[in-house]
Amino acid sequence: MDVVGQLQRQFIDYTASLYREGYVDDQFTQLQKLQDESSPDFVVEVITLFFDDCEKLINNMAKAMEQQVVDFKQVDSHVHQLKGSSSSVGAMRVKNTCVAFRTFCEAQNLEGCLRCLQQVNHDYSLLKNKLQTLFRLEQQILAAGGSIPMVE
Amino acid sequence: MAALQRLGQSSLSTSASSYVSCKAGEMAVLDQFPAGLRVLVVDDDLTCLKILEQMLRRCLYNVTTCSQAAVALNLLRTKKGCFDVVLSDVHMPDMDGYKLLEQVGLEMDLPVIMMSADARVCAVMKGIRHGACDYLIKPIREEELKNIWQHVVRRKRNEIKELEHSGSLEDNDRHKRGSDDVEYASSVNEGTEGTLKTQRKRSNAKEDDVDLENDDPSMAKKPRVVWSVELHQQFVSAVNQLGIDKAIPKRILELMNVPGLTRENVASHLQKFRLYLKRLSGVAQQGGIVSAFCGPVDTNVKLSSIGRFDIQALAASGQIAPETLAALHAELLGRPTGNLVTAMEEPALLQASLQGPKCIPAEHGVAFGQPVVKCQPNISKHFPQSIMFVDDASPMFGAWPSNGLGTVAPGSNLVGLNPQNNNMLTDILHQQQQRQQQHQKPQQQSALSESSRSINVQPSCLVVPSRSSANFQAGNSPVDQNYSYNRSAVIDYSLLSSQSNNSSLNVGQISGGDLKTTGVLSGYSGPGSISPSASSCSVSAEHNTSQQVQNSTLTFRAARQVPGLVPNVADIQGSYRAKSGEVLDQGPLRNLGFVGKGTRIPSQLAVDEYELPMNNLNHGKIYLTFSQNRLALLGEL
Repeated sequence: MDVVGQLQRQFIDYTASLYREGYVDDQFTQLQKLQDESSPDFVVEVITLFFDDCEKLINNMAKAMEQQVVDFKQVDSHVHQLKGSSSSVGAMRVKNTCVAFRTFCEAQNLEGCLRCLQQVNHDYSLLKNKLQTLFRLEQQILAAGGSIPMVE
Repeated sequence: MAALQRLGQSSLSTSASSYVSCKAGEMAVLDQFPAGLRVLVVDDDLTCLKILEQMLRRCLYNVTTCSQAAVALNLLRTKKGCFDVVLSDVHMPDMDGYKLLEQVGLEMDLPVIMMSADARVCAVMKGIRHGACDYLIKPIREEELKNIWQHVVRRKRNEIKELEHSGSLEDNDRHKRGSDDVEYASSVNEGTEGTLKTQRKRSNAKEDDVDLENDDPSMAKKPRVVWSVELHQQFVSAVNQLGIDKAIPKRILELMNVPGLTRENVASHLQKFRLYLKRLSGVAQQGGIVSAFCGPVDTNVKLSSIGRFDIQALAASGQIAPETLAALHAELLGRPTGNLVTAMEEPALLQASLQGPKCIPAEHGVAFGQPVVKCQPNISKHFPQSIMFVDDASPMFGAWPSNGLGTVAPGSNLVGLNPQNNNMLTDILHQQQQRQQQHQKPQQQSALSESSRSINVQPSCLVVPSRSSANFQAGNSPVDQNYSYNRSAVIDYSLLSSQSNNSSLNVGQISGGDLKTTGVLSGYSGPGSISPSASSCSVSAEHNTSQQVQNSTLTFRAARQVPGLVPNVADIQGSYRAKSGEVLDQGPLRNLGFVGKGTRIPSQLAVDEYELPMNNLNHGKIYLTFSQNRLALLGEL
């Protein structure tokens, strides 16, 4: 009946898989390290901010690419921003897609850009799901009286 | 978004607390340095902002966050002395990070660290060139932030060192100047190297160790000197008087004779100034526009031909070292003419320099009459474009070289464009134009050839209006422009002849010997004084083809009193040709976004930031001799 223990193990495994599968990278660890008593919900807050940003940027990109004449510079600047935020939170897949995205922007390759946009969207949705699951797990552990294990 | 609001609030509260704790912060700094270091973070990406905030907090720094560059600048201005270091993102929607960087460096002399996800060498290099203390690549880690205090300390040490040096040897100054080649905001050699190394390391590995032998980490805070327009003008005039080569802080300080100003202050300001000059000349060489101090218009400005004025002035002897030019520019940036003028008002000097085509604008308010005097032959290949601002209320138009430089009718006070003088001025100009055209053409040709090699810097021709009234203001434009035209009315005769084919700013271009009045009457300011923001755009168009105008510091500073004098290039030219006394029409300028509020000028350069009231254009006569192109260029700023 070691609920907490079970949850914790689940948590550890899940986190490890996230890293293994490249959803998040070391920067995400840094993020978690930043959380402390003075900012107990830091990670959740930042990730939430990030998701909001993501959606906004993806929408902007989509809009820009729907134009008759696509302003690639504009798209590129959105991608650049997304790359910056994703790298800051450790969203590795999103960031990598952004890198590819930028190359297509520079080449003014609309088709490539559209594909990247789709990919970015996909990455973002996936990540969102994963992290939300993770946060839920955390909540459960805390609710059960346990503490969140540190995952190295 | 709720998140946004939250962030906003937290930023606010942080700001509030940081304001309140400004003083306390100082104490804290002293006690547990580097804890308590007051950091201002600017980034439009809220995610990053939040992360940085948290990281900095954990470094025990005092953090204020800002998601907009404009707000940040405001904060810095209103809360001078409340921050130790600024962290700024490069890509921001409302203002380019580099611009913010420059302005902070100029106005507040704070170390600025750039951040970006862009790790390309060229981007980092750009940061260095604009004076960044450091350039961090995102994602930023906490360890990197732990070390930012070194930049604060380093800067302070350098200031002190400079002081020590400057007091003693001139040589040292030269040394330092040499080191300025490394475009570092305010560091001496070691500092620069250190930074470069650090940057390199950053891109490779994390460098944790900063070995700073710091005897006194918690340097006592010195009260910051605000380099106001007046002060800066005094500074520049002092520098010019001494000659950029001989200008050492000690002497400058003596010349300036400002109570309360220390050699230290002067020294650090001088270093920045030199950097600025260097950058101007460097950029001019590259043909780029230096958006430095006053966004001088550089090579982009094409001078098709040197205005008569220029030719005379600039030709041959009218060569001014880029530095001087820059100095002129800077000086013209709009310091109260009072200072300038007095400093400059040395008819003898002017006359002397007038020998050749040196164009020394009216004795009065010759902005940089001296610099011109100090021209060194064959300065450089570029042609600084100098806008001669004659801003002299007195009816005397500077001593434009009489060698056919469209000499403003001697005695004609081009500069002092007083409302009352408008007509006179117009007439005078008109006359001169004609006279010049006939008279100067031949000279011009020769001068042209000569000048083609030299920098026709006519910064000297920047006549800074001594009187507040009737100042020519070259393009009173909102400070925001790179061209902040201050009081220094620059009479840029050459400008008058704008060539339609020039797409860039043609400062003083004389097309085909069509020297229009080469007076650049910019920003005629009606009543009130014209804060001379001398943008000395020395236009030295060698030949009819485009020339690089160097150091086009077209700073149009919106003079307070000067109502929106907006040079209307198109009209000016037209009017010049056709009729004199045409009032500048703001139309074109408006289009140029002349009065835009986009960019900001360092406060010291831009006294007032306000939009020039368009309707003022019709005030008095503004004889703006801005070629359309130039204005266009301005618009781009």
